[in-house]
Amino acid sequence: MHFPILTSLIVLPVAGAILVLFVRGDEEQSAPFVRKIALTVSVLIFAETLLLWSRFDPSSADFQFVERHAWIPAFGIQYFVGVDGISLLLLVLTGFLTPLALLSSWESVHEKTKAFSIFMLLLESAMMGVFISLDLFLFYVLWDAMLVPMYFLIGIWGYDRRIYAAVKFILYTMAASVMMLLAILGMAWLHLTTTGSYSFDLLRLYDLKVPPHLQFWFFLAFALAFAVKVPLFPFHTWLPDAHVEAPTAGSVILAGVMLKMGTYGFVRFAFPLFPEAASFFSPALAMLAVVGIVYGALVAMVQPDMKKLVAYSSVSHLGFVVLGIAAMNTQGVQGAVYQMLNHGVSTGGLFLIVGMLSDRRHTRQISEFGGLKKVTPHLVAAFLIVTLSSIGLPGLNGFVGEFLILLGAFRWDPRMAAFAATGVVLSATYMLWMFQRVNYGPVTNEKNTRLADLGRRERAIIVPIIALAVLMGVLPNLFLRPIEPSVARLVNRFHQNAPAHLQVDARPSAIGHQPSAISHQP
Amino acid sequence: MSSLNAIVPMACVTAAAIAAMVAEAFRDPGERMPIAGLGLVGLVGAAIATVLLWNHNTSSFGLVVADDFGLFVTGILIVVGLLSLAISGPTIDRERLPAGEYYALMLFATAGMMLMATASDLLVIFLALEVLSLAVYVLTGIRRESPAATEAAFKYFLLGAFSSAFFLYGIAFSYGLTGSTRLDSIRGLTASQAPAPMQLLAVGLVLVGFAFKVSAVPFHMWTPDAYEGAPPAVAGFMSTGVKAAAFAAFVRVFLSAFEPLRGQWSDVLWLIAAATMIVGTVVGVAQSNVKRMLAYSSIAHGGYLLIALLSANDVGKGAVLFYLLTYAITNIGAFGVVALLDNASRPNDRVADYAGLWNDHAALAALMTVFLLSLGGFPPMAGFIAKWYVFSAAVKAGYSGLAIIGVLTSVISVFFYLRIVVMMYMTPSNTPAQFPAVPKIAGAALVVSAILIFYLGLLPTRVLDWAAASISAF
Repeated sequence: MHFPILTSLIVLPVAGAILVLFVRGDEEQSAPFVRKIALTVSVLIFAETLLLWSRFDPSSADFQFVERHAWIPAFGIQYFVGVDGISLLLLVLTGFLTPLALLSSWESVHEKTKAFSIFMLLLESAMMGVFISLDLFLFYVLWDAMLVPMYFLIGIWGYDRRIYAAVKFILYTMAASVMMLLAILGMAWLHLTTTGSYSFDLLRLYDLKVPPHLQFWFFLAFALAFAVKVPLFPFHTWLPDAHVEAPTAGSVILAGVMLKMGTYGFVRFAFPLFPEAASFFSPALAMLAVVGIVYGALVAMVQPDMKKLVAYSSVSHLGFVVLGIAAMNTQGVQGAVYQMLNHGVSTGGLFLIVGMLSDRRHTRQISEFGGLKKVTPHLVAAFLIVTLSSIGLPGLNGFVGEFLILLGAFRWDPRMAAFAATGVVLSATYMLWMFQRVNYGPVTNEKNTRLADLGRRERAIIVPIIALAVLMGVLPNLFLRPIEPSVARLVNRFHQNAPAHLQVDARPSAIGHQPSAISHQP
Repeated sequence: MSSLNAIVPMACVTAAAIAAMVAEAFRDPGERMPIAGLGLVGLVGAAIATVLLWNHNTSSFGLVVADDFGLFVTGILIVVGLLSLAISGPTIDRERLPAGEYYALMLFATAGMMLMATASDLLVIFLALEVLSLAVYVLTGIRRESPAATEAAFKYFLLGAFSSAFFLYGIAFSYGLTGSTRLDSIRGLTASQAPAPMQLLAVGLVLVGFAFKVSAVPFHMWTPDAYEGAPPAVAGFMSTGVKAAAFAAFVRVFLSAFEPLRGQWSDVLWLIAAATMIVGTVVGVAQSNVKRMLAYSSIAHGGYLLIALLSANDVGKGAVLFYLLTYAITNIGAFGVVALLDNASRPNDRVADYAGLWNDHAALAALMTVFLLSLGGFPPMAGFIAKWYVFSAAVKAGYSGLAIIGVLTSVISVFFYLRIVVMMYMTPSNTPAQFPAVPKIAGAALVVSAILIFYLGLLPTRVLDWAAASISAF
């Protein structure tokens, strides 16, 4: 009997939330204590995810640490969790960002701290659950349950238009995901008609032969849910509102983890379950992704609000991830998974830094700042590194992911890669332009002359981000190695079931048959 | 004596109701009596009888069958009765209602509902319908000084009487054609004959009667007015109890007696189900009064139940039962919160009155959130499992269109449930509303409801199995 480590990732935050619930006393007395409990619990969970990583066998493509119990046997619903190379590092990322998000709200959240901590912990529990579910029913339950704490986080602790943003967030994402519920039911029903029993077991459903016309509709239902979450152009309109109005912690989690659930959903569910339909739709998906890359970048360029700029940059960056997935070759998907992590680190970092500036000045307008380099040199240095990591400077994390994605996309359809590559240039433009306007030049605004530099708490937030950005840029193999076997199997299985996808690049290619260009370097 | 076994649960409740009336008659003015305790005894007696009768499939007089389906609904009605008793206390004290009459009427209505859920003869169903309806008409208008309550009761009574007439007319036609009012004989005779126009008329008239009682569109007009005029505790009782009883009889009649005519009525029911879901949610969005909003929400939930009924496979019948149970607990919970916020001077039932409730009554706000999210179908609350059960029945039966309408309307419904959440948590209160203190029993009942909602949402297996087992009877 092994210690159920994956279950503990779901249960521990809930237990922490319940513990927090029973802390007595008014806001003044309870808040410091509550913050410490929440932080301790989230750090513990991070430690657990690291433990998970250290025990993970990187040579295997199979699901590991599997736990399987009957839940609603009459419908073949199980509590079935496991982790493979694709989900492993997303768990670590979730564990990494949650304590940082809690730390970032240490001072900016000073009302209802108890409820805030409870919602953060519940959110973490649901997010962990989404990444480890291998039963479609369980997955859907957690997928929907996750919306509620985020809704409260935006709606209660957000900025001025928080209510509008919160309601829009929850309605958009829910409306998009209910069709997936029907598709899930349809899959279970199909399993019933072909084998005689209900099943929501992902591994069994992978083997199910879904008739083409059903694949078409089911894929659309799944893809809609995931595309809104990513968000893929033109389903992105909820994102700027939600990101801008959310408190810093909410933005960090939203951008850092929740957006990845959309792309994760494509990799884990939509593509392998419905390979033929996925192959049919992937040019369209890639097209939307490329449009999103360029559109997001162009819109980001003209934003006067830093948070909104970072939000639109997410639309652009996530477009890369979807492009890599649509290419469905090893480089593309591996790059996509890696880029999910990168985006979590660098965009999470950007939101944290914007949050720090906004804590100081209570504004996020770029025009309000200028010349910060002279006032807060350390903050600006950190800002610079995170900005560069987001742009994809070689040596920092963003480069490796984008490179792999573009490589994969090029092998699949060079035109897509060509258009997407403009996004790399554009991202440098809008990011550096913002950075320049905020930090260089003379101090134009009187209020900026006496801003405090990074405090100890803020150092504790930003140093791990920078360290990870460097580590991921310098030693990508450390991260790519566990990802690779699972991705390779996913891609192989996909091409067996949807041979048509390969015809796009029947051309022989020099890098064509190496499983991965980078991770095989010594 | 064994032939009387099947009516023991309702006999317990009826006895409690009579005792409550007698107690009220002998009560000195101003004397406080634990009359609700009598109701509690009666309902617990009924619960024990229900457990003992489970799986025995007894019948009394050939008119009342205590099969597992009926007993499951009886169980739901007992839960409804217990929760309603628990949340009624504050209302009775505040409005100075005659406690004995109030509880007696509530218990009589419960007995009528139990009879309706277990009757196997059209005339007995009609009798039960009248027993419960008359009691509920009076309960609706029990706040005699309030013009709104009187108007509501009168409207409800007139329209209800109309629909009863339709129902009775339908029974008459059916009797004229088949020579029987017993469900099994009707089924046998309709199965052996080609469908006659008269028979379709009979089915249609009976359908109108049921549609009125379950407030299906277009027979839903009375619902918002009646719920708004009635005391919130009564509204909670009638929105769940009446619906559960009426749906039990609806299922029994249409899936046994009129089953052979399915080809004729299924399209009509499809339209009614779709219209009920759409009207309930779309009009619900426009409401500014919490009670009216909950009324439209309960109309919409009737639509989901109709999907389950229409699907009529093993999953669908189980889904009706499970849905009724979760809906009963959740909706009484929501109305319970409304009842507890009800103030002598002002009803506090506009959506805007909930502003800042979190600051004044954090626990009540949290409970209301649980109830509303469950009504909206969010996991891990019971409402999600219930909806999922209904939709899987629909997908299995091939009603994908209804399932799509169902999921889309449930997203729309989330919008208005969340409006209250927004008010409670995200809007500061302008004028500090006068919220009364929460009485212990009522508060405990709501906490128990919330726990049950999580239990049914997280570990539904046992209850799902009961529901699935109890529909094997037909």
